[in-house]
Amino acid sequence: MRLFFSGIRKLIRRPATWVTFGLLVGLLVLIVVAVGATANSNLGGPGGSGRGTAAKELVTFPGAYDRMLTFITGLGGLFAMVYGAAIAGSEWSWGTLKSAVARGESRVRYMLVSFASISLMIGIGVVVAFGISIVAAIVGAHLAGVSTSGLGDTSTLSHLPERLLKGWFAVAEEAGLGFTIATLARSQLAGIGAGIAFYFGESFASIFLPDIVKYMPFSVANAALATGSGSGFSGGAATVSLPADQALVLVALWLVGSLLITALFSDRVEITG
Amino acid sequence: MSGTDGLALATRGLRKNYGSRRALNGLDLSVPTGVVYGFLGPNGAGKTTTMRVLTGLVHSDGGTVELLGKPFKRGDRRRLFEVGALVESPTFYPFLSGRANLRELAAAGAPVPAGRIDELLDLMGLADRAGDKVQNYSMGMKQRLGIAGALLNDPKLLLLDEPANGLDPAGIVAMRDTLKTLAGLGKTVFISSHLLAEVQVMADVVGIIAAGKLVREGPLKELLSLEGVVRVRVRPSLVDAAIKTLAPLAKAEPLAETDRDEGWLSVHLAPDRAEDVNQMLAGAGIFASGLESSADLEMLFLDLTGGNGSPDGEGTFVGLTGPIDGQDGGTPAGKGAAA
Repeated sequence: MRLFFSGIRKLIRRPATWVTFGLLVGLLVLIVVAVGATANSNLGGPGGSGRGTAAKELVTFPGAYDRMLTFITGLGGLFAMVYGAAIAGSEWSWGTLKSAVARGESRVRYMLVSFASISLMIGIGVVVAFGISIVAAIVGAHLAGVSTSGLGDTSTLSHLPERLLKGWFAVAEEAGLGFTIATLARSQLAGIGAGIAFYFGESFASIFLPDIVKYMPFSVANAALATGSGSGFSGGAATVSLPADQALVLVALWLVGSLLITALFSDRVEITG
Repeated sequence: MSGTDGLALATRGLRKNYGSRRALNGLDLSVPTGVVYGFLGPNGAGKTTTMRVLTGLVHSDGGTVELLGKPFKRGDRRRLFEVGALVESPTFYPFLSGRANLRELAAAGAPVPAGRIDELLDLMGLADRAGDKVQNYSMGMKQRLGIAGALLNDPKLLLLDEPANGLDPAGIVAMRDTLKTLAGLGKTVFISSHLLAEVQVMADVVGIIAAGKLVREGPLKELLSLEGVVRVRVRPSLVDAAIKTLAPLAKAEPLAETDRDEGWLSVHLAPDRAEDVNQMLAGAGIFASGLESSADLEMLFLDLTGGNGSPDGEGTFVGLTGPIDGQDGGTPAGKGAAA
């Protein structure tokens, strides 16, 4: 447990933690408030009134709960992947893994416990970001002149813990992917770069290969949370999605697979430099 | 492993290849308990690879390692609980303070007693700056923090790679005293270093490696006495007579005229036998006008290694010995001499 708590302490003090979280929350608040503020402005041109309706829908409860969560798991998934890559990569770039191994620490345990710490931070981040996004959506609703009477919808609220749990799981899977890529690259920058390329590559490939891309990590993460209400925020998503239950199983497989590769690689690789 | 009783560290036939490059070629080290052991070798000779193998960072291709009397194989990470190591440069989280870095390092591997971190920060003279972020530390401070990290679990065997790197003269003296004190307490200190003068004043035993193999190992005093030189100056007309007189003292190739015109002769002899040289010459009616003796590790090192690493190693600094064509600089040593 001391290794786990050490991982948490390091992450709390790490600037990357706060920068990643700040960027996600900042973008989210900015977009939601801006959408609310402009929902009633004169949207000229073809489809202008339709865009106004969509904008109001974004901040209308109880649907706003799902939309905010989709935003967090969509763009947040990319951020989580970069975050996971940054943490894993720095263990190699800074040589801190080397110091731990030279003290007799197990390589596999060290890497997996590091990921467990990241997962916990992500879980906390998802919940806090979700809370902030709901406040932003309420502000947006007021600015758009939309009623917030749906805020207390009991049916939606009763499913919220389960939805948040799935969201955490999906984002953790994406972070796990970044963590593994950076471990294989043994570099922070290479891990982040490859992760971003993977994210946009998957999004781009979904245009041509939707039947394959729907099984890919970002697509399954988005599909695991899909409710059918639709949203415009989930980046990296395939146009064709798997059913949520099936997607959840694939999320688990991607996560376990990533961590297995990390464990095997860490155990066998020679730590030099 | 045979013949390793009483040794804190022993390797037998240690081999390691990086692709087609052979880094270790049957290395046999025998490090007695409770000594400061200087591990020397030119660039690319295999010192860092040895340190990596000894700390489980890389896996050998063959041979055996014993740490503190027990075999150290792949997966025997708990053997390292009694070992402290600083391999290559010290590594830290730059965004954490010195104290926090030690605390997080202590969370890995063997448990560390409460209060140990503050004790080490005091010992390394870092207590006042322990709360500062490591990214603001100087190289010497990072080095001291790295040594503190190696001492966290009060190890019985300490493996240090270039521990004097970045330290100021006072820091080097303090480090030397600390390591000698640790050895006095029965701990074994294994130092890989390029600083021959530093090793000469600190080490009890040295091992010299070249091209991945041990070329000489033993107590420093013994090695230096074998490699010592006594230089004597006689009248130039008596050089031949002096050579004949000193021949009985000679070993295989001990006697050399270093400067016939000036009458200087060199005898490969333990430095404390300068008196014998003088006595023999006087007995033959030849009186020395100059007598000096010396023994230094640099000479021994260059003798044994030729100043080179392994044939396909990383090479070494060639140096300038004369003017470069068209410039006032110099030509690379060796090349210039050959030309």
